[in-house]
Amino acid sequence: MSSPLLALRQVVKNYGGVRALRGVDFDLRAGEVHALLGENGAGKSTLIKIVTGAHAPDGGTITIAGQLIAELTPAISRSLGIACIYQQPALFPDLTVAENLALRLDATTVHARVDWTARRARATALLARIGAAISPDAEVRSLSMPEQQLVEIACALGSGARIVIMDEPTASLTQKEQHLLYAVVHDLRKNGVGVIYISHRLEEIFALADRVTVLRDGQSVGTHALADINEAGLIRLMVGREVAQVYPAAQSAPGATVLSLQGVGCNASGVHDVSFEVRAGEIFGLGGLVGAGRTELARILFGLTPADYGQIKLAGETLELSSPQEAVSHGIAYVPEDRRRHGVVLELPLEQNITMAIHRRLFPTTWLSFNAERALALDYIRDLAVKCAGPDAPGGSLSGGNQQKVALARWLATRPKLLILDEPTQGVDIGAKTEIHKIIRRLAHEGLAVILISSDLPEVIGMSDRIGVMAHGTLRAILPGGSDPHTVMAAALGTAA
Amino acid sequence: MSTSSQAPAISKVPRRDWRALLTRHEMLLLYVLIAEWLFFYFAGTSTNRRGVVVGFGTWDRQFDILRHSCEIGLLALALTPVIITAGIDLSVGSLLGLCAILFGKLWHDGGLTIPVAMGITLGIGALAGALNAVLITMLRLPPLIVTLGTYSLFRGLAEAITRGSITYTDFPDNFLFIGQERWLGLPTQAWIFLSVALAVGLLLHRTTFGRAFRAIGLAPEGARYAGLPVERRLALVYVLAGLIAAIAAIIYTARLGQAKADAGSGYELFAITAVVLGGTSIFGGTGTIPGTLLGVAAIAVLKNGLACLPVVMRLNAAEEMSGLLTGALLLVALSASVLPKILSNLRPRRHTSTA
Repeated sequence: MSSPLLALRQVVKNYGGVRALRGVDFDLRAGEVHALLGENGAGKSTLIKIVTGAHAPDGGTITIAGQLIAELTPAISRSLGIACIYQQPALFPDLTVAENLALRLDATTVHARVDWTARRARATALLARIGAAISPDAEVRSLSMPEQQLVEIACALGSGARIVIMDEPTASLTQKEQHLLYAVVHDLRKNGVGVIYISHRLEEIFALADRVTVLRDGQSVGTHALADINEAGLIRLMVGREVAQVYPAAQSAPGATVLSLQGVGCNASGVHDVSFEVRAGEIFGLGGLVGAGRTELARILFGLTPADYGQIKLAGETLELSSPQEAVSHGIAYVPEDRRRHGVVLELPLEQNITMAIHRRLFPTTWLSFNAERALALDYIRDLAVKCAGPDAPGGSLSGGNQQKVALARWLATRPKLLILDEPTQGVDIGAKTEIHKIIRRLAHEGLAVILISSDLPEVIGMSDRIGVMAHGTLRAILPGGSDPHTVMAAALGTAA
Repeated sequence: MSTSSQAPAISKVPRRDWRALLTRHEMLLLYVLIAEWLFFYFAGTSTNRRGVVVGFGTWDRQFDILRHSCEIGLLALALTPVIITAGIDLSVGSLLGLCAILFGKLWHDGGLTIPVAMGITLGIGALAGALNAVLITMLRLPPLIVTLGTYSLFRGLAEAITRGSITYTDFPDNFLFIGQERWLGLPTQAWIFLSVALAVGLLLHRTTFGRAFRAIGLAPEGARYAGLPVERRLALVYVLAGLIAAIAAIIYTARLGQAKADAGSGYELFAITAVVLGGTSIFGGTGTIPGTLLGVAAIAVLKNGLACLPVVMRLNAAEEMSGLLTGALLLVALSASVLPKILSNLRPRRHTSTA
């Protein structure tokens, strides 16, 4: 066999202190579909960003078609025949399909006349090749998401790409469109194109791919021909052995039911038929893959996207939640996933961040009391051991872990009945992570009902009393805390393993 | 409650550093204002043939400056909370005109007493502000476009009501007292202006409303996630702006003794200039009422001072010069506020995050 189309050797990438890739080997042959599999945060996206030239690696070598690449920028990557099809197509919505294709494919010269006939003919030919029934004159804004994806693929074909990367291409496709896409992938393979295929759907990987590489914690844990491995084997590779991290022991005996959901769903956010109960003193973990609908469920419970059907009961009282203010007034607190945009206001001092959700209680006359505010903020800063220059330091001056503690303090100050934590330790260093775990366990011990959304499998298994696993917008299984990671992952992938 | 062994060293930080206080934007603006005033005092004051002091350095001139800055000052007060929420209201000048006309009509044609007409005018101002508020918060249209629309709408209504020709005059003396006389040593309207400044200042700096305005300006989504009533607070700033524009309309009418359709045209731009000059960020989140007052004063002194300079009087170009210099002052102030940030970025950062 000739030299591979693409070969990565010992590629390293660090983001600050986070080691996203720690020496990954990967190769792609011509005429091969090579699947890339791994948990959230395993390093798949980082690997793709390095291949497309978006990020430069900190170490290792990249060889494309036998040629050692010294520097890879997005432009160089494209000129070497690498095309990437993202989940969210990056097309110009106000231009037609033919115009979008022309923008990507035509060389830009100063005084080129626009040859509309040729443009349209090429677009028609490319679309026909992938079997897409899309008019070249259609405005992109009028196309559905999967149709836009097909246009992206046509683009990749038209540019004569030798390496095509597909990042979860079927996430938003219907069954019929998926089969169309499979046919396109087969066609690409037949024409000698190498395809890197990222997907969480195991059945899809078995149907399409020739080989699979599994990433875990920024390392490749093996490349296998799909003929030699089964689903259970793949899951075992993804999960690996239990990380030797100690989680604070569950010590609480759950009390009365605090939250109960009965067939809750919301059409706008794709969540449907979710039912479960959370009791006082209990940590209810919500596991699953990105896009499984966990944050969407949290947004329903916090009144940001109200439920269309189903029943939400808090402490026995049926709630109609249509705004965060209502959720807060009923004792629901939500520490959002996007800490820097939603969790803390970076420009405001810590004390103002901490008191932001309790204006009414702390300042009942609306008149500010700076002393009361500072006293309360100092209490929480000490209690949660927030490392800061003082209560008047701006939120943006803190590290990620300490910002997270401030976001947490804001919601603890509301004295909630139910605390929803969305990825509370994402992007947090290991020391702060352990501290946050201890705080969460202590809060549960003090009688709070906690919903813990986490994509970190060991965390959700280690911290939770019970684990609800979500996939495709609904709750698939409720497992006991400390469950076998393989069982959890199998449920998250939607397979019966 | 667990107390960590690495308890943070807090409360050692003094609440305010005097050096930081002296280099704050408001202080810089105060220095500029003093320099400006001293320049005009020495260059714009003279003694006429009869030995009487005339020009900038007279008490009459100082009161005149105060009298003339009340209306634009009120609009600047109205706009400060709006701009702090990262919004804008271009319609306040037009609304001033519309309210002036309606006030005149209510009194003159409607036969209402002055106090009743005033009350209704204030209500109309608030209602017009509510129109902006509804369009911005419920239909989620951008404030710039909404108020650009009502800017034309309000002025157009004022023109239509007067058919472009009617001017209401002959107001009673006890009404003109508000705009043309002094009370307790100051021009009467200055007391109204200062009361509104105090009220808006307290609202902005001492209540949870001001906190919400700032949070919305800095991070609208973040404010929503914190459970703040974002729509209601936004609505409030626009209704308040309408109400204050109506107050400005009454003062304007009392000062000139007439209500006409072109009252206050172009005032919104001077008001925005004063607010931004006063240190309010056009991107929202930061700004103070003292800053806005200094901004209003800087523009008013510049405008009046220029009119006293002999060279400007000879050229008869006071208007043109003041426009030119106001623009220059604004650009210098904006650059000056960014400069320390750029300089501190060149130096190694002091507050690096501690992991």
